[in-house]
Amino acid sequence: METAIPKTSFKDKTNKVLGINPQDALISKLYMSVSFIALLIGGILGLVQGLNRAGLLELPSWLNYYQVLTAHGLLLVLVFTAFFTIGYFYAALSHTLGGLLPVVRKMAWVGFSLKIVGFVLAVVPIIMNEASVMYTFYPPMAAHPAFYIGLALIVVGVWVCAFGAFIQVANWRKNNKGQHVPILAYFATAVFILLFFGSVPVAIEVLVMIIPWSIGWVETINVMVARTLFWAFGHTLVNIWYLTAVSAWYVVVPKIMGGRRWSDVLTRVVIIGLVVMNITGGFHHQIVDPAINEVVKYMHVFMSLAIGFPSLMTAFALFAVFERTARRKGGKGLIGWWKKMPWGDVRFLAPFIAMVAFIPAGAGGIAQSTNQLDGVVHNTMWIVGHFHLTLGMSVAMTFFGISYWLVPYISKRVLTPAMNRLGVIQTILWTVGMIFMSGAMHWVGLLGSPRRTSYTTYGDHATALSWDPYLTFLAVGGTLLIIAVILQVYAVFNMMFFAPKGDTEFPIAEEEDNATKTPYWTERWGIWIVVMLIVVAMAYVIPLTDMIVNAPPGSPPFKTW
Amino acid sequence: MNQSLLGLLLYIFLVAPPVAKFMELNMVIHMHMQMTGLVIAGYLMARFFQIRFPGFFEKWNHNGVPGIMLFVITALYWMLPRSMDEALTVQAVELFKFISLPFFAGIGLRDGWKKLAPIVKNSIIIGFAILFLALGWLYIWSPEQLCNNYLVIEQIALGWGFLTTAIAMVIYLAYRFFIDPSAYE
Repeated sequence: METAIPKTSFKDKTNKVLGINPQDALISKLYMSVSFIALLIGGILGLVQGLNRAGLLELPSWLNYYQVLTAHGLLLVLVFTAFFTIGYFYAALSHTLGGLLPVVRKMAWVGFSLKIVGFVLAVVPIIMNEASVMYTFYPPMAAHPAFYIGLALIVVGVWVCAFGAFIQVANWRKNNKGQHVPILAYFATAVFILLFFGSVPVAIEVLVMIIPWSIGWVETINVMVARTLFWAFGHTLVNIWYLTAVSAWYVVVPKIMGGRRWSDVLTRVVIIGLVVMNITGGFHHQIVDPAINEVVKYMHVFMSLAIGFPSLMTAFALFAVFERTARRKGGKGLIGWWKKMPWGDVRFLAPFIAMVAFIPAGAGGIAQSTNQLDGVVHNTMWIVGHFHLTLGMSVAMTFFGISYWLVPYISKRVLTPAMNRLGVIQTILWTVGMIFMSGAMHWVGLLGSPRRTSYTTYGDHATALSWDPYLTFLAVGGTLLIIAVILQVYAVFNMMFFAPKGDTEFPIAEEEDNATKTPYWTERWGIWIVVMLIVVAMAYVIPLTDMIVNAPPGSPPFKTW
Repeated sequence: MNQSLLGLLLYIFLVAPPVAKFMELNMVIHMHMQMTGLVIAGYLMARFFQIRFPGFFEKWNHNGVPGIMLFVITALYWMLPRSMDEALTVQAVELFKFISLPFFAGIGLRDGWKKLAPIVKNSIIIGFAILFLALGWLYIWSPEQLCNNYLVIEQIALGWGFLTTAIAMVIYLAYRFFIDPSAYE
């Protein structure tokens, strides 16, 4: 072991001098490229969908609304986010843990290939209009089996990447006994733990239930069990994006501002809290499902709101960082210090607006996990507005902000002032577009406009016609967003291949000088995983037993489009 | 906030009649959440007693065995279907539940656990894992209603609660067996 320590620190040093290992950089560049190509295609499909939903665009006969919705959702919810998360965290692991191990690098490639093969398998039936199931695994709607097999392969690809990350972290810990895993690698560990355990239920759903049913080996499916397993994954996935964004808020944004990181202990406790309590949050997506009794729903309100607690800690920590840093730079007064923040720097501006957006986004989420309030908005456009605010603003904008330093870093290029200006314009366009679109969606949802429905006036019914102005706002927002998408994708590929060569720093903020020592129990992931499993078991035994033992007759597959 | 106070607040929360009544509505919540919660409350409050009465613990629990015995016996007693039934129908037994779980099991566990040798600790976890598997099997496959106050469906849910908890314990034991902490710490 003694020889291993200098070896690692030597690696660290070379890493600092030479930047990222070219082989590791290639992996991250590849993941980023796929991610942003998915953003472009998904974005265009989103515009088509928005214009169609507003009644402004008639789709050709070979393309229907639900097909576009499926592809838009799959590309942005799964491909854009998953590829970005893995590319970003693999770059972080490479940077903070002294380069990827050869075996881990191989696993990243295997994972990548599995995901691409799976993706192609899933896309073909969508293009053939055999899988317009709105990108979920939600029986009794059934897609072509190839769609599910493809998505299962994507899940396996993600698992390979997750285990690659675990091997990398375990190896580092062996070589650096008794030390805390660097904070970004710690975030990566948590994200990959959630990716693995969160996707176990959906793998069970797809492999054991849906594939045999969609092929026709079994005639019926237990709809409630399938949906419950789906949301154990679906909700976790949402929080994986969020945790990825949060990692940049805690670690990167303070450095870009020229400040220090807020409490390392608090950061790690927030991460553990989000990991332990996450999977059970899936139930609040089923809050109006009739097959779950009220006692269980009541219990789950607490379990869902518990996840809000770490988020409130995050909000506190981040605003504390802003104020401290701004005051250190000479900011004065109750509000005057706001002027000292680097508003002209896209690497700060984009994640900052993302954080602010999380305030209404989180509040909306709390409203939706309350049974009675959700009764008003469930299955309306409100929900669509909500997840465009959370994913489209909080997560996507943070990812955009990250891209302005990560892409130059992995490409050994620099962010030019011109590109920064373009980034600021892109951020503003995206913000205005999303306010229009998401705002209109929320409002028209409150007025009763349903989600998952193509444009219709219900025989020119007065109520349905009153939605039209809002839907036009939605289309206006979507148009602004597509301009922002094009700028963003242009920026990413420009920074990857054409920007001036040079060294870009991987921004990781240091702790405060007088920081309290982080207790070692934060490193004992084995125990936290067992606690998480017990919490999941406690949350799921009552409803699942009920759904299985008292199951109604199952459902045959339906093709509703 | 110190942990003894946190434990006291948790205890007050759990014994508050509306909360207690809600948790007793369902068999698995009653046994696996309320009772575990009471033990955790006692575990946290134990710190107060350890500081206040060090001599008592030194005299009666210097090697940890009496404390852990108290925990095991109390826990076993509350796993009997009949004791759960009585807690719901006889008020004195309900009172005994609110006293025994935090103050016997919780404090016994806190003061006993750290004093035990690793092999004893692992044996206790193995013992509970086997017991949980057996109870899971009993509750899931028993054709009879074992508790007068709970339906068979709730009994099956409790059985699965036991089985899944036992699986988590086995995972923990495997983690302890295969991963050597000294390689990392």
